[in-house]
Amino acid sequence: MPQTASSTIPMRSFGRHSDVKISALGFGGHHLGEAPDAKTAVEIVHEAVDGGITFFDNCWEYRRGKTEVWMGAGLKGLRDKVFLMTKTCPHGRDGSLALLMLEESLRRLQTDHLDLWQVHGMAFDNDADLFIRPHGAAEALEKAKKDGKVRFVGFTGHQNPKVHLAMLKTGFPFDSVQMPLNAFDATFRSFEQQVLPELTKRGIAALGMKPLNGHGDAIKKGAITAEEALRYAMSLPVATTITGMDSLDVLHQNLQIAQNFTPMTAAEMSALRERCKPDAADGRYELYKLSLKFDNPESRLAHGFPLDTQQSEVKDMLGAPENTGHPFPEKEF
Amino acid sequence: MSSKLEWNRRRFIKSAAVLGAAPLIPGGSMAQQQPAAAQSVPQGEVTKKPLGRTGVQVSAMGLGGYHLGSAETDQAANEIVAKAFDHGVRFFDNAWEYHDGLSEERLGKALKGRREQSFVMTKVCTHGRDKKIAMRMLEESLRRLQTDHLDLWQIHEVVYDNDPDLIFVPDGAADALLDAKKQGKVRFIGFTGHKDPEIHLKMLSHDFPFDTVQMPLNCCDATFRSFETQVMPEANRRGMAVLGMKSLGGSGELVCHGAVTPEDGLRYAMSLPVATTISGVDTMQVLDQNLRVAVNFQPFSAEKMQALREQCRLLASDGRLELFKMTTKYDGKVGREQHHFPTTQELPI
Repeated sequence: MPQTASSTIPMRSFGRHSDVKISALGFGGHHLGEAPDAKTAVEIVHEAVDGGITFFDNCWEYRRGKTEVWMGAGLKGLRDKVFLMTKTCPHGRDGSLALLMLEESLRRLQTDHLDLWQVHGMAFDNDADLFIRPHGAAEALEKAKKDGKVRFVGFTGHQNPKVHLAMLKTGFPFDSVQMPLNAFDATFRSFEQQVLPELTKRGIAALGMKPLNGHGDAIKKGAITAEEALRYAMSLPVATTITGMDSLDVLHQNLQIAQNFTPMTAAEMSALRERCKPDAADGRYELYKLSLKFDNPESRLAHGFPLDTQQSEVKDMLGAPENTGHPFPEKEF
Repeated sequence: MSSKLEWNRRRFIKSAAVLGAAPLIPGGSMAQQQPAAAQSVPQGEVTKKPLGRTGVQVSAMGLGGYHLGSAETDQAANEIVAKAFDHGVRFFDNAWEYHDGLSEERLGKALKGRREQSFVMTKVCTHGRDKKIAMRMLEESLRRLQTDHLDLWQIHEVVYDNDPDLIFVPDGAADALLDAKKQGKVRFIGFTGHKDPEIHLKMLSHDFPFDTVQMPLNCCDATFRSFETQVMPEANRRGMAVLGMKSLGGSGELVCHGAVTPEDGLRYAMSLPVATTISGVDTMQVLDQNLRVAVNFQPFSAEKMQALREQCRLLASDGRLELFKMTTKYDGKVGREQHHFPTTQELPI
């Protein structure tokens, strides 16, 4: 994959595939759906590519497909310059469903293959069992890879390090694993402590997310600055740090930090962990580990948990004009 | 795996058929239905059991305090307590923060003339704050309960990961328990929580002289983030009395989703090595249903217990029926405030 001339963001190896390089800052797909319109979204994607971001994250279930459609439009003509990832959302259901979602994702993203395809949102204690069972999502990942529709496969989740470890224990040959990594996670139900070393050992690419705790609460309340938070996450032994960008301002802020990135020293990291520790101790800034509110509605439906009707994605889901009764609504955004 | 799923589906249909006979859960719409006339409460009393190493006997069923505040009127709450007492219920649960004090006030009124024969427990709700606040809450609880002492005073809702650390700071809630015991205001002390066995174990690791430990115990808990397998044996080993709660999932989830009938669910919880099983009651129908199990209580055999665990295993495996372990729904307002968590309006689930 050629680097663009203007790229100044550090490039890193994708786990054991050291011939594959990705940008140390990744473009989070979810927030793209919060841009005011398609035109703005396309602009944001263009500027991200110009700024040196090559890693693009997305997901079948974000905003009922809107973020994939907008990203597909933004990457038109730029597809070969980027490393494109999206996620599939069977949430314990059959692999055949995962493959249907793949076809839809490819169509929305206007491409014939993905660089990385991940199983989305491992959250519940039985998710690993459901993934590896006969006819489960594991079989879909194998098939998609064999058919050349995806180069690499992985899984994601933000709830519980133990669920990630259970996934690794299935023995499935994952290329990547995505998880929350930030200065608060460092001392609370910690992916950094429990999962990251295991990935390094196995040569699996670690993809960090929620460097700003998902919605930046800790920053708004003055517990940490955006620069400290992002630098901490990027200084960990990860292939990339994925963060959401819903406006050009946020994009520019992130690009500036990433383009001037120098890793924190071990002492700096340790000092920051200690500073954040009291606020980290009950999970107040990491509610995604504690509340179903931050789980995807699709996942909650699949697991029989009650929907939260105040959640914006549930409102999207239940919105009358879209609620056609068809499981995979095709629509214009 | 798929054959297990098939098996469970058959089970589900079978249980659902059983449930056609109007299961009753607190707050449930079906609680309005009248039970068949034949289903009266049998003669006799609720069985008694030892409260750990204390030498005291308590009724094997306890009346949950929260639902007393949910009963429609003071009069309804009075009648529930009176009837429960008449059938031998002697263990009464409460908490300083339930319904902003209404639950304690109702129990205080209802126990007039019955206080001496009752075992009254309430809980302190510092949620990380210091001894002074705990002692102020104790005085308030005593006043509302119209008594000069408690039989048991427990630290309420130890559910946040740093709660054990906050409770055991000098002049924290643990010190308040010791002081109150020394002053003769409470006979026994303990703690409660519904979230995570690991948090309970962290509490126990302090080697503090708790007399009791309260925890969720039901046939889904048996195979999911299990207090039954992780905490109950450790508490028993230490000679502490185990107090079970949420025998039907907190709001009857186990019953509504076809995991178990109310009778089997309750009888399962009561058959464990516990001192009592605390169950919330907000209508007479629910009380009668409970008493039919608890009066002249007959424990299940080990085989039947195992069969019930297996029956519930698949529904238990992601926590969908034990929302108190999974979501913030069951975490109280005062605790949320003290831990800087969003309110139930901001974070409903």
